[in-house]
Amino acid sequence: MANQSGNVYGLTILSPILQDPNAETSHNCALRMKLATLPRDESSPFARVSSTHMARLVVMDDVVYMGMPSCEEHLKSQYLVFETNFDGDLDTYLALMAREIPTEVDGIWQHCWGYPGVQDVGGFISYMKKCQITTTFYFADVNNKTVQQTLKALQTQAAVAEFIEHNQGRTPAELQKSFANFLQMLRNAPPPIPGRPGTGGPPRIETRMKWATRN
Amino acid sequence: MSKLDATDIQGFVLRGYGLPFARYMFLEIADAHSGQAFIGRLLDQITTGEHWDAGKPEWALNVAFTHKGLVNLKLPDASLLSFPVEFLQGMKARGEILYDTGENGPEKWDAVWRDGRVDIWLAVNSKTKETLDAGCADLQRLMEETGGARVVDSQDAGAFFIDGHWSTKEHFGYTDGFGNPDFLGVERDTQPGQGKLTADGTWAPLATGELLLGYADEAGELPVAPIPHLLASNGTFMVYRKLHQNVATFRRYLEEKGKLYSGGKEKLASKFIGRWRDGTPVELSPDAPNQEIVQDKRRNVNFTFGNDQDGTRCPIGAHVRRMNPRDAFGFNGRLINRRRITRRGLPYGPYVPEDQPVRDDGEHGIIFMALNASLFRQFEFVQQQWVEYGNDARLGNDKDMLMGNHEGRDRYTIQGTEDPKNPPFVCGGLPNFVELRGGDYFFLPSMTALRMIAAGTVDPR
Repeated sequence: MANQSGNVYGLTILSPILQDPNAETSHNCALRMKLATLPRDESSPFARVSSTHMARLVVMDDVVYMGMPSCEEHLKSQYLVFETNFDGDLDTYLALMAREIPTEVDGIWQHCWGYPGVQDVGGFISYMKKCQITTTFYFADVNNKTVQQTLKALQTQAAVAEFIEHNQGRTPAELQKSFANFLQMLRNAPPPIPGRPGTGGPPRIETRMKWATRN
Repeated sequence: MSKLDATDIQGFVLRGYGLPFARYMFLEIADAHSGQAFIGRLLDQITTGEHWDAGKPEWALNVAFTHKGLVNLKLPDASLLSFPVEFLQGMKARGEILYDTGENGPEKWDAVWRDGRVDIWLAVNSKTKETLDAGCADLQRLMEETGGARVVDSQDAGAFFIDGHWSTKEHFGYTDGFGNPDFLGVERDTQPGQGKLTADGTWAPLATGELLLGYADEAGELPVAPIPHLLASNGTFMVYRKLHQNVATFRRYLEEKGKLYSGGKEKLASKFIGRWRDGTPVELSPDAPNQEIVQDKRRNVNFTFGNDQDGTRCPIGAHVRRMNPRDAFGFNGRLINRRRITRRGLPYGPYVPEDQPVRDDGEHGIIFMALNASLFRQFEFVQQQWVEYGNDARLGNDKDMLMGNHEGRDRYTIQGTEDPKNPPFVCGGLPNFVELRGGDYFFLPSMTALRMIAAGTVDPR
């Protein structure tokens, strides 16, 4: 099915960039400068659009002429390329963008042709869909679990590995008791934060859970 | 392909000499003119890949250059600038890529490497200590006569003499020296398992260009090489790394975890590397060491991981499995063929038997040298992706247990079964068992290239 890779939707949008000969800084340059300021960790705007597995924004100037014998061709416009993999359906996702990160969306898409703003969510969704092209090739970084399921799984894996490391060699009785405490703590653990470095790896000191064995 | 001219290739590239003593002298060139004269005088002593009809020589001599060394010999700029960028930069500048940071960072290196003083690696390998000293004294005289270079540091290394014979063990007690790849055209005692896997499950030699510059590599391309062709052809690149080993920490760690691991201490040690300490490959014999397999050349490197996807025989993150995943990544092993390196190397420092007290500090470890046509594609890739990372093997951020720069927060998982002698086990709190004390990237020219360098006739046009 087009645009769908298992449970994940692959969105590709090419929004033509405004060309204003009177602007002091051209829109594509201003857009590049804007994109360079976007954080890419847990403070990324896309961390707030919580169903996002991966999002990428690229300014595409033109095709590059490679010299003879290729023929010289040019795109009719410069484009903002927006690629994202997310859980759920397209309409819901776009509505989430409009609701959660309206300022950032404005700041980026104001440089693009026909951008109606995010006040009218329906209008915004129509505009984005007009610019959509079919995705047929996917970055294989997700395995059909939602963002939350994936983060929780990574958290659990790290926690279980640490539990085993600290409890191997114990008697069955000690193990049972320790495991009961561990399960309790795991259930009560706060949900992992999307975009935080090290979320999938060994827990950092500040998020390390305390085991019964350490008391 | 055309037959290799072994007499044009430095012997060190084509074979591990198996000579028990070595001294690596690191030289600084005085000036281009006398430096060239010194190299000219070395030429007829350098050991090539020629066949040894009369058995091993008493000693062997080889030479290699850092980029700085070639600059100081005043090779033409166009040649100097055509070397691959990683060689131009040198190993110290590549630290971020290689995870040579923190405990492995240059601040902890021996001064000669930290200060980037090395121009030339001059290696003497010999049968006896006396020959070694005599050979080096001769070279020292040559340096003085020509005024071409001076020694800024020197590193001795050598095999351990254990129970009346030369051993291939290293300081942690593992038997080393298996698994160097086979290359097309390189004469060698071939063993099944050294080369690349073919579709019918047999092994074939790798393309010559994975080792030597100027020949097609596994992609059918010529690896990036300096101009002119004559400068590069029959040469190769070498990475030299002095790896200090924290022997006391290793023994203590193995002892501690060995008590918790129901398979026992030696089995646990075998799970770290993927070989028992006597050299038996775990994949062929997971329950006990087996000297018969070790001594059998048709078997001791002949295995695949296809029937061990879960890592319950050889753990997925075990050292041998990381360094040569064979068929573990599918596609009949083809993803591996451009990531093989040829290891030369010897331990340094005195061997301390298991039952004797040992310390972490002191000069002991392994001199790791690897040869490859492309530092970036081969050594650097393996170091970054397979030693200091685990993603390709689906191990996330896990690093190689023995060699990894653990930064105080890493673990090693041993996959297991319900068999009480083969349980799953997690090794946490991993200290750095190995610490980098310096090194660099070197170019090992062919004899032809050496003659041109000595004569100052390298011509890039």
